[in-house]
Amino acid sequence: MPINTKPSGDGVELFLAGRVDGAMANELEVAILDAIRSGTKTLYINMAEATFLCSAGLRVLLQYWRQMKSGGKQFHVTRPSPEVDSVLAMTGFREQMVEGARPN
Amino acid sequence: MNLVAEHRLRNSLAESRQLEGWIKSFAEAAGLSATARNAFDLALVEWVTNVISYAYEDRREHWITVRFLAAPGQARVEVEDEGRAFNPLTLSPVDTGTPLEQRPTGGLGVHMIRQLMDSVEYRRADGRNILTLTRSSGATE
Repeated sequence: MPINTKPSGDGVELFLAGRVDGAMANELEVAILDAIRSGTKTLYINMAEATFLCSAGLRVLLQYWRQMKSGGKQFHVTRPSPEVDSVLAMTGFREQMVEGARPN
Repeated sequence: MNLVAEHRLRNSLAESRQLEGWIKSFAEAAGLSATARNAFDLALVEWVTNVISYAYEDRREHWITVRFLAAPGQARVEVEDEGRAFNPLTLSPVDTGTPLEQRPTGGLGVHMIRQLMDSVEYRRADGRNILTLTRSSGATE
């Protein structure tokens, strides 16, 4: 499933749908790099329609969360589906990465 | 445990896309809850991807066997490969309380497998790795 990109306030929002497996993680990396090259200050990764998230996807999220943060920019996962939220919680990503997340 | 299905796949990431369909059939045959189905789906993808990516020292074709088993209230998946010996249970646990800035990027897949399953067993027999994943087939976490 293609990753849709659209401007969102001060940044760019990427919409993921379906299974974020190894192949989709590679596509996500390309989409993130495109957004970074466009000079965005804030990146939102909308995961409302994502039904699956594996460690390859988590590694991409972690890598660019760090890169954006160390460059004084922002990187947020938004509206995670229940399946994705469960993965973010069990790996300890949710609290720091999900917009508006509360501690467990 | 009764054997529900047995499948084989080659050591290529393209072939691992079959796992989703096998899990779907297993979930229907064994009456898995959505939670249990999702747990086996993710755990199996993580382990098979790990085997395909790291278990082989040559570029030859290798076969990986996946067995699906069920008993009342319980479900099990066994994965057998002929790659180098690797016991995932020897990996240090991931400390999920560590800030993301300081996190190692590896080890997340095995961490999730252990979180998702009630029991994870490893054995090495006849030059093969056998990983056994067992979980309640109901909705309990």
